Amino acid sequence: MIKWMTLAIRNILRNKRRSFVTLLAIGVGFTAISLFRGYTSNMYWGLRESAIRGEGLGHLTIYKAGWLEKGKLDPERYMFSRAEVDKITKLVTEEKEVILATPQIQVTGIVSNGITSTIFIAQGVVPQDDRTIKGAWADFRPVKGGGLNEKKPYGVEVTQDLARYLNLTPGKDGVVMTTTLSGQMNAMDIQVMGVYDSGSDATNDKYMRFTSDFAQSLLDTKMAERIVVLLNSWESTEKIRALLLTKLTHAGIACEMKTWNELSLFYSKVRGMFDMIFMFLFSIVLVIVVMSTVNTMGMAVLERTREIGTLRALGLKRRGVSLLFAMEGGVLGLFGSFIGVVLHVSVWAIIRASSPTYTPPGISTPVPLVVDLVPQALVVLMLCLIFLSLFAAIIPARRAAKQNVVDALGHV
Amino acid sequence: MIRRKKDGLQPLKRRDDMALIEMQCIKKDYFLGETVVHALQGIDLQIEKGEFIAIWGPSGSGKTTLLNLIGAIDEPTTGDLAIAGKEVRSLSDNERSELRNEAIGFIFQGFNLIPVLSALENVMLPLQIRGASLGEAKAKALSRLQEVGLSEFVRHRPFKMSGGQQQRVAIARAFVNDPSLVIADEPTANLDTETARIIIGLMRELNEKEGTTFIFSTHDQRLLDQVRRLVRLEDGRIVDGGMKR
Repeated sequence: MIKWMTLAIRNILRNKRRSFVTLLAIGVGFTAISLFRGYTSNMYWGLRESAIRGEGLGHLTIYKAGWLEKGKLDPERYMFSRAEVDKITKLVTEEKEVILATPQIQVTGIVSNGITSTIFIAQGVVPQDDRTIKGAWADFRPVKGGGLNEKKPYGVEVTQDLARYLNLTPGKDGVVMTTTLSGQMNAMDIQVMGVYDSGSDATNDKYMRFTSDFAQSLLDTKMAERIVVLLNSWESTEKIRALLLTKLTHAGIACEMKTWNELSLFYSKVRGMFDMIFMFLFSIVLVIVVMSTVNTMGMAVLERTREIGTLRALGLKRRGVSLLFAMEGGVLGLFGSFIGVVLHVSVWAIIRASSPTYTPPGISTPVPLVVDLVPQALVVLMLCLIFLSLFAAIIPARRAAKQNVVDALGHV
Repeated sequence: MIRRKKDGLQPLKRRDDMALIEMQCIKKDYFLGETVVHALQGIDLQIEKGEFIAIWGPSGSGKTTLLNLIGAIDEPTTGDLAIAGKEVRSLSDNERSELRNEAIGFIFQGFNLIPVLSALENVMLPLQIRGASLGEAKAKALSRLQEVGLSEFVRHRPFKMSGGQQQRVAIARAFVNDPSLVIADEPTANLDTETARIIIGLMRELNEKEGTTFIFSTHDQRLLDQVRRLVRLEDGRIVDGGMKR
């Protein structure tokens, strides 16, 4: 086998310029795919963290059965009572993969600075739990000011564009107004504790965060709309969902559960779009690699017809000839991938050193352009291109093997 | 020797006293568009083990076609051909490849060495095709190269060797598998007189020492003078095939 591999490598080196062009085509194709894969890997990570921690969705959200369909029409009927919240929290946090389970409630209404009013959408959260959910994300998008505080229930956080419209800065007062769950108008004073960037142009002019107690007071209820669950790892989301659904159902709690990616439409749509672009790019590279390899190997078969005849006369079987050329294709894929890895690491290092930023559409602030170095993806891509080149070489290889020995020996 | 029935040929059957090569009423046609070229028109020939034979005749007389059939790299249009007791027509392509690898050595007019391989690697090739271990193939190839006087050129690639040296490598390659038959198509055509003399002497020596059957096609009088038997072809027919020296 080593002998035939050596022969394959020497044959590739025979026409250096042609082989170099093919290797470069495979290498550049590899780099294009791997860089895009590295970019999307980082972007998916960012979007995932943004959804789970930035938006505060956690990994799983538990609703009372029927909330998603009819909850807005009859909220009280489909919200969790305090006793239910306690029971669910206890059952859920028994699992070792669960970091916390925390009740949340959403409020919509009008916020005013006394002169101007505008609409808002606020999440009522437990400040301590919210800080846990945010984790390191808080450093990436820090809250200007003090942030939510259990000791000051009427203290709120306001998104930066909303704060700018209403000229609300930390320490300033305002008023929020909404209807209670029973349909009565209710208004309460607030004090701005912090101003934050939601990360999205679409929500930066309307999102707010209240303490859970304050949101409940505003809605005149002690109930919770949902329970957000934070896990150790996002990879176990589906497994834990299935486990918790079974557990809660057995405990007599009728509920429904959504994962972070089901709730974050932005993540799902962006991922769908980039997966599509990735497939498109991969298809183009696939065609380039296949055509380059077929062309190179086709030329090699033509040039080495006499040699094929000699090998056949010496007793090499048709399968042996096919294998030899297929091996040459595979070696082209292997060396091309090596060039690709070198190019990938070089570009990755340049990007890392220069730290460029860009502002994606719909995002409020520039984000760093980061390309992940994903060794696993590089290995998979490498294997992919090796096999692709190998199979691409089979077409000319079969042609070589089928040649009549006498005709091949007489080829000029 | 020729066995015929009223309604046609009776296929060759394996016998203990069979010659190394047995050809019976061999015909070979080529089709060039709508034109049929009758390259061989009924060849009956027996070649015994250890013979040193030249096939000669004018260009287009069918010498190379005959050698191709004897070398099992081509099939007759009609007729029976047995090599070392094996009926060629009944063999699959893989079996024919095995037969060539194990029983037949080839020496070509243009040497046909693999340019990316050294002299040693070229000689090792038939053994490695057979599946011999690297050590065994290397030892045997080195020994054959020594026999043809090229032990100092084992690492040389073909393009760094003279025509005579390349042909000697080709002879070593043809012999490395200890074949019972060596076929050489115009082996001295591309060589100068002195080199041709050395090559002819070498082949003769191997024939005498190892008892290997040699079959040549040639126009070279220097070679014709050395052979024990001449088979003369004209227009695809043997016109003189029994002369032994």
